[in-house]
Amino acid sequence: MSRLGRLWRTTTFQLTAIFIILFIVFAIGILGYIAFQSSINIQQTQVRGIERELNRLEREYRRGGTRGLVVAIQRIARGAGPGIYFVADQNGVGVAGNIATVPFAVLDNPGQHTFTYQRDRPFRASDPEAEDTEGVALVRSFILPSGYRLVVGRDIVERRGFAVIIFQAFFWGVIMIVILSIIAGVFTARRVLRRLDAIADTSNQIMSGNLSMRVPVTRRNDEFDRLATNLNAMLDRIEQLMQAMKQVTDNIAHDLKTPLTRMRNKVERALHGEMDGEAARAALEATISESDQLLKTFNALLLIARIEAGAPASAFETINVADMLADLVELYAPVAEDAGLAISADAPKGLELVANRELVGQALVNLIENAIKYAQNGDLTGGRENQVTVRAYAGENRTVFEVADKGPGIPQAERERVLQRFVRLEESRTEAGSGLGLSLVAAVARLHKGEIEIFGNDPGTLVRLSLPGAPPQ
Amino acid sequence: MKILLIEDDRDTASYIMQALDEVGHVTHHAADGDTGYAMASSMDYEVMIIDRMLPRRDGLSIIESLRAEGNTTPALILSALGEVDDRVTGLRAGGDDYLAKPYAFSELLARVEVLARRTAPAEAATSYQVGELRLDRLSHGVKRGDNDIVLQPREFRLLEYLMRHAGQVVTRTMLLENVWDYHFDPQTNVIDVHMSRLRAKIDRGQAKPLLHTVRGAGYMIRE
Repeated sequence: MSRLGRLWRTTTFQLTAIFIILFIVFAIGILGYIAFQSSINIQQTQVRGIERELNRLEREYRRGGTRGLVVAIQRIARGAGPGIYFVADQNGVGVAGNIATVPFAVLDNPGQHTFTYQRDRPFRASDPEAEDTEGVALVRSFILPSGYRLVVGRDIVERRGFAVIIFQAFFWGVIMIVILSIIAGVFTARRVLRRLDAIADTSNQIMSGNLSMRVPVTRRNDEFDRLATNLNAMLDRIEQLMQAMKQVTDNIAHDLKTPLTRMRNKVERALHGEMDGEAARAALEATISESDQLLKTFNALLLIARIEAGAPASAFETINVADMLADLVELYAPVAEDAGLAISADAPKGLELVANRELVGQALVNLIENAIKYAQNGDLTGGRENQVTVRAYAGENRTVFEVADKGPGIPQAERERVLQRFVRLEESRTEAGSGLGLSLVAAVARLHKGEIEIFGNDPGTLVRLSLPGAPPQ
Repeated sequence: MKILLIEDDRDTASYIMQALDEVGHVTHHAADGDTGYAMASSMDYEVMIIDRMLPRRDGLSIIESLRAEGNTTPALILSALGEVDDRVTGLRAGGDDYLAKPYAFSELLARVEVLARRTAPAEAATSYQVGELRLDRLSHGVKRGDNDIVLQPREFRLLEYLMRHAGQVVTRTMLLENVWDYHFDPQTNVIDVHMSRLRAKIDRGQAKPLLHTVRGAGYMIRE
């Protein structure tokens, strides 16, 4: 039951069944129509044949009188064929013809009649059934002016036979259709079931923890393959998210545990009075600044989470890019100068961008801070000016920001990775920072449906943040 | 100072109350929106600290109702939401300042004290004086004793903000928000660098410094 039942319950199979029924109904309709039309056609042909013969016989009658007619009938009646001829006298007694009797009702009422009669000879020598069968006659009867009755007609058993043939053809046709459809239905249903089972198996394995499983994709490129491709893309995304989450959890554990432990130790030592008042005070102040740093990390994490949940569009406003860059560079100029760097802004006047001002600001701040922080360590310019450049220009349908430095740069292989949360290059582990700066920039880029790309600046790093939204000019 | 705290989390509330008590403020506490609104409209407070998400009645609607009744007590909104847009809605509802959780207590305290002073008429002053340092808002001139001090426009605004809140702790975030109008969070000590430059111009060579660093909190200008 279970296998057959499953087969029956598939949509494909039920659709097949519905189509079988519909097909049979149509077939009945079409074949019925054909049979009906053909029978009418045959009848009309027969009636016309009868009328032609009547006309001929009438001419014989006019030429030779009753006697001439009887002679003609006797001549015609000797030949084989479906024709029926009968002449009776005034009293209805047969005089000539190829059938024995005709009912009186037919003889007395001129016009068209149908009646059964006893055949006394086969129509054709080859017709085996015709020996002793009842015939059915379609006739026109006619009362001659002499009082004689003339009956001319056709045997219509042939016509009935035609209906039987059509019906038989129809019957076998339907049976063939049903059988073939069921076979086709089972075949397609099983095919669909196999594909679905593959998907179900995969999802079962994934549910039981094997996230690396993927739905098999065939080369047919049909709707199942499209579904499978989409499912696989979804699974890739889920796996990425899971890995990212795992990594974030690991990193939080590591990056937050260390300062917390350090804080705890300081407070403990201060508490147990191993220090004098001044040292204890310093320890507490260090604790506060360290916890401020932790709060900043948490704020950054929360901000990234909120951005990724999608900031409301109402926070978008028109930003004058040149002013914004000038302000930011003014804010960071003293910091850069202290670090032995020059910082400069370059943006065309009147360049505007519709975006979330605070988030774009935060993203640029992060990039500028990174540039300053890493460029001051390694001046690889060999005496050239160590410069941080903040640039903005209108790209194709987008506003492009570039922050470039002449620092040690980021190795090609790491450029994708540093955008992830808490990822810090080994060389910079000792620097202050949470490892969240670039992930926040990446989140801001995603929120604005833009991109962040990292290039080499030969030497140094060039980070390009491009946000869509054509500047209005 | 008499402060009303409307906060539904018991731990947070008792911590804030204790801390405010230590610096000499009297704090009344309401644990839900209805009680808080009743207390705010029946008694006079100098500052209200209102959590945004409260049982029975949310913080913003309390502030809106109070403002509609003509109550102008400065209100500081605390929020776990803290997104840029939330700050705008909060201030639009009639809040005077907005602080997102998690925050440092020093930040909260500094903001409360600045808010309490905001009602004072010093706001409209055309000049500020701290010791022998004098800032004239109309002529943009700054003098220490008889010596003119030349400041960049931004340095002038920085000093102006500090002097308007002379004797009060001003946090780095407050400076960033009020002097630069930035509502984001630099990881580096960018404010400290600006402060040290300002300090060099004001206090260098002086026997008695006016600009003070308050450790773990921010800066203060005083005699």
